[in-house]
Amino acid sequence: MSITKHWKRSLALMAGAALLFSACGDSNDEKTAAKSETSSAAKADAPGVGGKAIGFIFVGPKDDFGYNQAAYDGSEAVKKAYPDLEVLQAENVPETAEAERVVEGMIKKGAKIIFTTSFGHKDYALKIAARHPDVAVLQQGNVIEGKVPANIGTFFGNVYEPVYLAGIAAGKATKTNKLGYVAAFPIPQTLLNINAFQRGAASVNPAVETYTVFTSSWCDPGKQADAAKSLLGQGIDVLTQHQDCTGTIIKTAEAAGAMSVGYHADASSLAPKGWITGSEWDWGPLYVDMVKTVLAGDFTGSKYNDNFRAGYKSDPAEGELSPLVQSIFGPMVTDETKALVEKAKADISGAGSPFAGPVVDQDGVEKVPAGTIPSYADLENMDYLVKGVVGKMPS
Amino acid sequence: MTVIDSPPEEITVAPEAPTKGTNDLARRVGSWVVAYLGALAVFGAFMALKGVNPFVAYRDMFDSTLMNSASLSEVLIKAAPFLLAALAVAVPARGGLVNLGGEGQIVMGGIAAAGVALGLEGKVASGLVMVAMLVGAMVAGALWAALAGVLRVGAGINEAISTLLLNYIAIDVLLYLISGPWKDSAGFGQLASKPLADETRLPTFGSDGRIHLGVFIAMAAAVGIWLLLRSTSWGFQLRVAGGNGEAARRAGLPVAKLLLSGLITGGAMAGLAGAIHFAGVEGQLRPGMTFGFGYIGFLASWLAGHHPIRIAGAALLLGAIAVAGDSLQIDAGLPAASVNVLMAFVLFAVLGKKPRLAGASR
Amino acid sequence: MIAAQAATDVGGQLLIVSVLVGAVRSGTSIFYAALGETISERAGVINVGTEGCMLAGAMSAYAVTAETGNPWFGVLGAAAVGGALALLHAYLVIARGANQLANGLVIMFLGLGLTSLFGASYVSREINGFKPYAIPGLSSIPAVGDILFNHDPLTYLSFALGPAVWFLLFRTRWGLLLRGAGERAPVLSSYGYSPERIRYIAVGLGGLLAGIGGAQLSTAVALTWFENMTQGRGFIAVALVIFASWHPLWAMGGAYLFGAALALGPELQVRNVGVNQFVLDALPYVMTLAVLVVLAKRSFQRAPEGLAEVFDAPPVS
Repeated sequence: MSITKHWKRSLALMAGAALLFSACGDSNDEKTAAKSETSSAAKADAPGVGGKAIGFIFVGPKDDFGYNQAAYDGSEAVKKAYPDLEVLQAENVPETAEAERVVEGMIKKGAKIIFTTSFGHKDYALKIAARHPDVAVLQQGNVIEGKVPANIGTFFGNVYEPVYLAGIAAGKATKTNKLGYVAAFPIPQTLLNINAFQRGAASVNPAVETYTVFTSSWCDPGKQADAAKSLLGQGIDVLTQHQDCTGTIIKTAEAAGAMSVGYHADASSLAPKGWITGSEWDWGPLYVDMVKTVLAGDFTGSKYNDNFRAGYKSDPAEGELSPLVQSIFGPMVTDETKALVEKAKADISGAGSPFAGPVVDQDGVEKVPAGTIPSYADLENMDYLVKGVVGKMPS
Repeated sequence: MTVIDSPPEEITVAPEAPTKGTNDLARRVGSWVVAYLGALAVFGAFMALKGVNPFVAYRDMFDSTLMNSASLSEVLIKAAPFLLAALAVAVPARGGLVNLGGEGQIVMGGIAAAGVALGLEGKVASGLVMVAMLVGAMVAGALWAALAGVLRVGAGINEAISTLLLNYIAIDVLLYLISGPWKDSAGFGQLASKPLADETRLPTFGSDGRIHLGVFIAMAAAVGIWLLLRSTSWGFQLRVAGGNGEAARRAGLPVAKLLLSGLITGGAMAGLAGAIHFAGVEGQLRPGMTFGFGYIGFLASWLAGHHPIRIAGAALLLGAIAVAGDSLQIDAGLPAASVNVLMAFVLFAVLGKKPRLAGASR
Repeated sequence: MIAAQAATDVGGQLLIVSVLVGAVRSGTSIFYAALGETISERAGVINVGTEGCMLAGAMSAYAVTAETGNPWFGVLGAAAVGGALALLHAYLVIARGANQLANGLVIMFLGLGLTSLFGASYVSREINGFKPYAIPGLSSIPAVGDILFNHDPLTYLSFALGPAVWFLLFRTRWGLLLRGAGERAPVLSSYGYSPERIRYIAVGLGGLLAGIGGAQLSTAVALTWFENMTQGRGFIAVALVIFASWHPLWAMGGAYLFGAALALGPELQVRNVGVNQFVLDALPYVMTLAVLVVLAKRSFQRAPEGLAEVFDAPPVS
């Protein structure tokens, strides 16, 4: 066989690549007329200033009844608030180097503000920030340890606070004293939620236990169904979860006549009978405020250029930006329960905490001494399950 | 006898049937053009169904994928492991074997590279760690493929099936390691191994520092495999064994050994793909980090008729399509995975060219 | 180590019962796909794209159910789309000479691409899917009732389909012809039958059943549509067919074995047993390989001859 023939075929393949993308027309660039944001000249070189677009990446689909839908809705709020800026959105961006590539594509299109919205996007967010000092990167969830670079920050809400409140409602609602938790991975955010849920429930019902199943996946509906059915088979009558897509577990609970506590989004419509309450996100105001800070050239040194956390205990100004929303109560929640929840919320907003000591782990080891309120930073490193949680962390 | 009854190798050989003159060449180029245009048209129709103007979408894809150096380097980075994964298919195919296990061999390569790094980092010079990572990955990929090879020559178990099964086992081994023994203690419970130190990452080139050494390793591997298959007696014997095993055996060729060596060489290439992606791009083992590479490599090899040099072109094409998926998503608002439809129709067009003389070549 | 833990059950189902219930629940979608693939391969065509057919079925069933409100229409849609994808495979390998394995992979990618393109708008839709129906009387038999008689209608249908396909393949003239297409195509031709036509039908039926398997997953088990939600179940089905030596009833057993492995993880966790899910996940594949080794010679003697030619490389001494 002749060599040249192979080269010809090779060329044909590569020409194919060009043909595939060029077949349809001219490649004139209409978008070169950049509309640069107005900002003071002095701050023109601050990170994130002067871009023509804002990029958002999501780890799952934008309409998953869950985490990504909440983040997507937040990005839509930014779109509305800044009509002159193009908002670039990419769904299903895995927590691998794909994320880095997609974001690079957004930067090429003129984005100078990037929101990376999943816990596992952090490492790529850091790389992007290091490579592009002029781009402001906002990482949702996770923590940057040590000195935070000038053009990046993490942010999150203390979602374990509303989860604790939901735990109270679940603890009052359960008839079998067994609650079920479907989780993905034992990351601190998840452990905080499971523990807060159990502690909330136990605060009103000392006999209650929370059975936990880890699925090792943020969203595999088949596995979720297995986990939910396993829990229901043990006589558990309230199901909740820390999964990115939430529909399957809530529908499974409802179909089995069990109750459910939502997470990430209002799914009460999926469970007209069994819905108790839930925790939701409203990222819009916080996203918009972060974009405002960046565009003003004030990002570096601001509270967002750090590990920013919003919770019930925030100062009033931040309180308005709090992304935490407690879902509506379902029909079977009594006024007594609602009052208990209100009381606990007032307590957390004041001096209290879902993790006010003593906190004892599964093995009986005291993790937080009595009379102590752990700091947010301490809590973000949680690596244990509390007493009353049934189930072991996957090994 | 229908075409499907002929073993895979026959079909790949067929397009190389003797050509006669420029007329024939023009016809062939013409049929390629028709194939690509057809694929574009079909996918364009699907996009139009979803309310997206296909002309605008294609222009955006072209602009953002091939029109600037930064995105071209993304295409190269994406194509490099595809290229190696395709070589993992092409070499055994010479011996008439079907390696569907690139996916798993790549993962084992990544695991080995990470294991070498965990064991050697900080103890020996970083250059040595890099070499050890690459070599270790090749050995691991080769061993994983050898498992299937031994089952094939020893127990007569079809290698297409065993390599497919081994893919899943390899992925579970990876997940087990990064959720247990190798989990990064500083990783906040995430499933990931300890990050590679900066100095043990493959060196990078270019202004944006994205193109890594692995891209060149992959290209060199393609040339090396091409020479190996073309110019060595091993390459010749492998081909003979693949063409007619019975005759090869009667001629005194060690058929079992040849087939095993073909599969092992392929496995080593796949292992290398895992290593360059790990040490050149990810720097950490993560779930799904090489998802689909093996299967796309398989298709690249078929697209190129299992020829190492043509495979480079096929890997580039599939890499470009994969990167173009980003544009679909960012510009047209379509899910990135829908670009698979375009890839599928390109492949249909090529795979489904009824080979002339296919029956007669037997 | 696992059995010892069963004794620690408190109040809930026995571990073995729960796992068997889970085996049927998680195994049924895989079983449908494996059954379809058995028919296809018996006629001499392997379809590695079963994964794509399943995905297409899962998405179509969900979409049609969402639009019409009736999951049975969803099943029809799933069967049609799964079958159509498989027919595309059949056309390319039979009429266009494409390699079966490579083309099957392309079918998989096509299924993934099409369902993400057209499925995106259904992710957040709600449906009234299939509900479990406890068969009066039978479902109250201890243990067995829960394991076999408290499922969705598609599961009951699959109970009947296994034996039906066995009967069709081995006890009817049509089955004889179909197996003939897989083993003795030239003989079939000489009697005036068209092996190609039979293969088209077999491959189409295979995709149709894979589509229904996908429908079971999305409209009866998960009650959700999600991109790539089959997560490799279609590939498992392809492996299973060989595990089952191209026998429909063995495929049923194999599918439940995979289902059991999927169900075992959560069942152990709710019993407070720490597990590494990934070790459990790998078990069925390791077992399949082991079974292949044990059955090696026998198994491949049972392979349809037409298929053996696709699979088999040169003889090895």
